Amino acid sequence: MAEPAGRGPTLIVTAVIFAALGVTSLFTPDYIIPSPRQMGAAIVELLTGQSRDLAITAARLAAGVVAALVLGSALGGLMGVARPVARYGKSLLFILSGVPALSWMLLAVLWFRDTETRIFFILFIVVMPFYALNVYEGIQALPRDWTEMLEGFRPTRREVFRLLIVPHVVPYIILTTKSVSGYAIRMIVFAELIGAAVGVGARLAQAQGMFRIDRVFAWTILLVILNFALQAAIDFVERRMLAWRPAVEIR
Amino acid sequence: MAAEPLILMEGVTKRFRGVPAVENLTLTIGKGEIVAIVGRTGSGKSTAMQAIIGTFPVDAGRVRVGGRDPYTERGTLRGVLSVAFQTDRLLPWRRAWENVAIGLEIFHVPRPRREAVAREWLARVKMAGAEDKYPHELSGGMRQRVSFARALAVDPAIVLLDETFSQLDELTSRELRHDFMDLVRSLGKTSILITHRIDEALEVGDRVVVLRPPGHVVHESAPTAADRNDPERMAKLRTEIKAVMAD
Repeated sequence: MAEPAGRGPTLIVTAVIFAALGVTSLFTPDYIIPSPRQMGAAIVELLTGQSRDLAITAARLAAGVVAALVLGSALGGLMGVARPVARYGKSLLFILSGVPALSWMLLAVLWFRDTETRIFFILFIVVMPFYALNVYEGIQALPRDWTEMLEGFRPTRREVFRLLIVPHVVPYIILTTKSVSGYAIRMIVFAELIGAAVGVGARLAQAQGMFRIDRVFAWTILLVILNFALQAAIDFVERRMLAWRPAVEIR
Repeated sequence: MAAEPLILMEGVTKRFRGVPAVENLTLTIGKGEIVAIVGRTGSGKSTAMQAIIGTFPVDAGRVRVGGRDPYTERGTLRGVLSVAFQTDRLLPWRRAWENVAIGLEIFHVPRPRREAVAREWLARVKMAGAEDKYPHELSGGMRQRVSFARALAVDPAIVLLDETFSQLDELTSRELRHDFMDLVRSLGKTSILITHRIDEALEVGDRVVVLRPPGHVVHESAPTAADRNDPERMAKLRTEIKAVMAD
């Protein structure tokens, strides 16, 4: 049987999950699993009444991830070209990555009065090491043949960086963004749950407190859709920026 | 006083972790000369080439390219030297013309000018029509042609060929060698070909220098056009070189 192509498998899996939820809801009370109709109504209710929270979460996500991408890539780039920075930078990043996200959240609540600073800090500190380490590893994987080829033209360090290192690490940055997007969404919801009064995480806590399981499901579905949208946006950027990559087919 | 040759290596020694790769090598190459350096693996031919490029400082002796030290006066040789390597070393994210133009980009040539020059060079190496293709869309021979165009596009005085034709099949290699060396000769470039193939060295070089480890010159010959047209003389030269390489 031919396999469905493109987004087909995702749609099939989504349909199966909803069907399973629908069937289960027939045999369970509404406060455990609401019916698809109730979930649909809750989604409409949230989108019409609380869409601002979704927008706030998306904006916080964008700010944190973009800052982590820019500063993490810069740090990774610096580590890639300066050995002493690499030695200390790697140690620092391993320590940062080893701190549980929950600890960062609690520390952020204690350290920062401003909600936006807290959320930004949490997302930045958990995501940034991924960019820094991946960009650093990308530079380490730079073929020596290419640097020798460029050296033949006597470039400055800046030209080597611009013509060789930056284009070479772009796939690493895109891959990191793909890998961390789902994780970043989970982190931001946790952070909002603990340290914010607005945003999807805060609304989820509120829905739980009011025993509005339909809203918990509705927010969850909206977050999954947000993740899909984010992945689609990254795929689009990947197709545009990495058009030069040959399609690899392994038989 | 006689003018200094374009490339001068005088008593050059280079060691890696105490092991000499080249020892007391003296070699001079004049302007417009095409020299083939032939030797087995480990004979020091690539180290000699790297010393000319200025990849590292030598431990003893002196290297001069156009009267300058290629290592300490690195920047002054911008555009003087160009290298075509064993592998094409094309950057996969750059189209064929963009790869050819990379040297010109480093020399701050404006984009319209460098694109025009790159496209012109691609046409000269018989790659017209492939200017906008990415490296993965080209065959091995085509990629090597693009790398030749990249080496020549900066109009260097010296073209260094580091085992440039050795990774290709014999037919493609011969065809490329013929086309490329015709270009190099017609442009009056000084060129050094590093190779382990005796036939290639005899076919290309105005002068053939044979190296044995660690970078000792053990034989020099200057095959003429008459030699090349005489299979017996070529066979004799080949046998001589083979013998000194094997000793």
